[in-house]
Amino acid sequence: MVSMRSALMFRRRARLRQTRLLAVSLLLLSGVASVARADYPWNLPPGFPAPKVPDDNPISREKVELGHFVFYDTRMSGNQTQSCASCHQQALAFSDGLPVGIGSTGQMHPRNSMSLTNAGYGATLAWANPLLTALEKQVLLPMFGDAPVELGLAGKEDELVARFTADARYQRMFAEAFPGQADAISVNTIVQALTSFVRTLISGNAPYDRYVNGLDDNALSPSAQHGGQLFFTERLECFHCHGGFAFSDSVNFAGNQFDETPFHNNGLYNIDGMGGYPPNNTGIFAITNVPSDMGSFKAPTLRNIELTAPYMHDGSIATLDGVIDHYAAGGRTITEGPYAGDGSKNPFKSGFIRGFQLTDQERQDVLNFLKSLTDTDFVTNPHFSDPFTTVSCTGDCNLDGSVTVDELIASVNVALDTAPLAACVVADVDGDGMVAVNELIAAVGRALNGCPATTNTQNRE
Amino acid sequence: MQPRKYPLQTVIPATLIAFALCLSIRAHATGGFDANGQCVGDQNGDGEVTVDELIIAVNNALSGCQFTPVTLQFRGMVGDQPFVCGNIYHNIGTTNGDIVPSDFRLYIHNIRLVTADGKEAPLKLDQDGIWQYSNLAMLDFENKVQPCNAEGTTLTNTVVHGMAAPGTYTGVRFLLGVPFNLNHANAATAASPLNLSAMFWSWQDGYKFLRIDTAFDNLRVHLGSIGCQTGPGGVTTGCSRPNVGEVNLDNFNPATSVIDVDIAALLSDSDINSNQVNTAPGCQSEANDLDCVPIFKNLGVNFDDGSPNPTSQKFFRVE
Repeated sequence: MVSMRSALMFRRRARLRQTRLLAVSLLLLSGVASVARADYPWNLPPGFPAPKVPDDNPISREKVELGHFVFYDTRMSGNQTQSCASCHQQALAFSDGLPVGIGSTGQMHPRNSMSLTNAGYGATLAWANPLLTALEKQVLLPMFGDAPVELGLAGKEDELVARFTADARYQRMFAEAFPGQADAISVNTIVQALTSFVRTLISGNAPYDRYVNGLDDNALSPSAQHGGQLFFTERLECFHCHGGFAFSDSVNFAGNQFDETPFHNNGLYNIDGMGGYPPNNTGIFAITNVPSDMGSFKAPTLRNIELTAPYMHDGSIATLDGVIDHYAAGGRTITEGPYAGDGSKNPFKSGFIRGFQLTDQERQDVLNFLKSLTDTDFVTNPHFSDPFTTVSCTGDCNLDGSVTVDELIASVNVALDTAPLAACVVADVDGDGMVAVNELIAAVGRALNGCPATTNTQNRE
Repeated sequence: MQPRKYPLQTVIPATLIAFALCLSIRAHATGGFDANGQCVGDQNGDGEVTVDELIIAVNNALSGCQFTPVTLQFRGMVGDQPFVCGNIYHNIGTTNGDIVPSDFRLYIHNIRLVTADGKEAPLKLDQDGIWQYSNLAMLDFENKVQPCNAEGTTLTNTVVHGMAAPGTYTGVRFLLGVPFNLNHANAATAASPLNLSAMFWSWQDGYKFLRIDTAFDNLRVHLGSIGCQTGPGGVTTGCSRPNVGEVNLDNFNPATSVIDVDIAALLSDSDINSNQVNTAPGCQSEANDLDCVPIFKNLGVNFDDGSPNPTSQKFFRVE
């Protein structure tokens, strides 16, 4: 911790060298301090198109870094007990392991917390809502929805803005993410930063990807390869709804001219023999009121599916093995209780769910294929991890485990206000929105002596 | 080419021009009628356009129409008692139940004053930056006092203020809800009073038109458009059940009348002590929630298709 005074003194001294330093840094940093907004460096996996970005919310590194903090900040709930990450945990591919989500006031959501894997590619967001065609629309639900209460911010928008405004780091980050805006901290800018971060949650480096992209012929076991062949057959029909780069047919991306928003009934219920679903989970029928939409839900991505149990919109199937049982039977039969019925005979069921038989070995092969969609980089990537608690090597701006001269210069520019804080958030160890002399010295120390080997400490330096 | 200058300094040549304009209008396919089917310039509706009427029209062209300020007074009520956050009200509905209200807010729009012979004059709302935007106004009877504190606001609003053409008005008409174009715009950037998150209805891509909550959360009335669809680009193109109420009130004097908005009247045909199983407590505009049927009727909305039914409404009344 360094006092404001010494930080300012450092700035004054630093300004004497500013001209020389800037000349060097501009040469070395070309582009780092001002990544072109129109050309965000997505670093896309092979075969992935760029996500669709709304015209009124162009993505930038400043917004993404800001949204990264917002996503993990418990100030995002009314009673400050939950953040987005409470129900969307990185280790579980941004799901929560529960059958249904539980909000900040303890209310249970009717549906399972969805994985945010590749959420920016969703043609629609949430399990069953054709109206939520952009993250900017969707994110208002967990924030302000009151049936059920999730983050519980309804009626508290002024308090929310005040909480962020009281934080020096946020003051700087909002101002830099939304330059020239009179009210840089607002519901809209919070939403825009958050959605910009969520758009970067791209997963495309699973063993499956390394195999199909020719990077590693041994990435898939023979069993997983065979399971993949089964997955893409008309015998199992999995791929119709779970195909493409996203392993979901509900996709949109930059340049796509078709705004298709598919939903499917997969025969989980048939309460009255007429296709009925539990009344709090009727699928898009709840929005459209079209009878044949009863029980229609979005086909979620199968990427990282191994990590997102339990399954289905209501978390009603505990394991992947159980999911295969369900599809093998062509629907689920519930023999007793209020939801009893033969889902396989649901009149609105997708025609692709006809049932199939698998040998024990084939079943294992399919499971192995599904597990080959697990992207361990995605669930450990420090760019997606909790910025408040994850260990950071001071000055390691790109989080790659070492501090380079470029990164030191970036840190200095952040200290001088000649680069946005987003250029090196981890140079600001104490989170006061400034990089002070002791923080620069710590970064130099890391450059000379190396970063800590462990990355699992729950403390920042 | 120089723009032609008309000698509009005196009324008489202007009158002549008005004659010419009127003739040219008559030559058009509109037949000289305005949007309400009245002969353009026929102010008193006698089927003729007199010189006096032309002079008025020309003066309006020169200096603008002379509207007069109008303030509509509203009062939040529960039966014959004023609405107060947290008060216990008895004898509500068909089973004489009790309620403790915890929220009471609504949007109205397209407000018109009505003359004795049924002619409508639109109330042009002052754009006050808080309660009124475009032709929409919010009424807010809750003051954030317990138990309205969860999502409430300290400020309340019981008036609508605007300008209307001078006249003798004996009625008022308005719609309960948010106009379609405003209902489906981006709530995160909306102007006040559409920026109040307690009124967001994001899962239906719109707003709650009416929000009545009760303590203990055993009864809610949330009115809003349902069955909405999106077109290319994710733009909402229509809603199968708009659920916009239509309110026509007679025996009304803008200067002296107060419009009561009465929760007890709204719930008068409901059994508030029971709720259809597996539906939201009260009525949240769900298509399968039959608890909504009597409530929608009293709001002036047909439950089956969301169309307006002004003859059935008794939520609003003139006192």
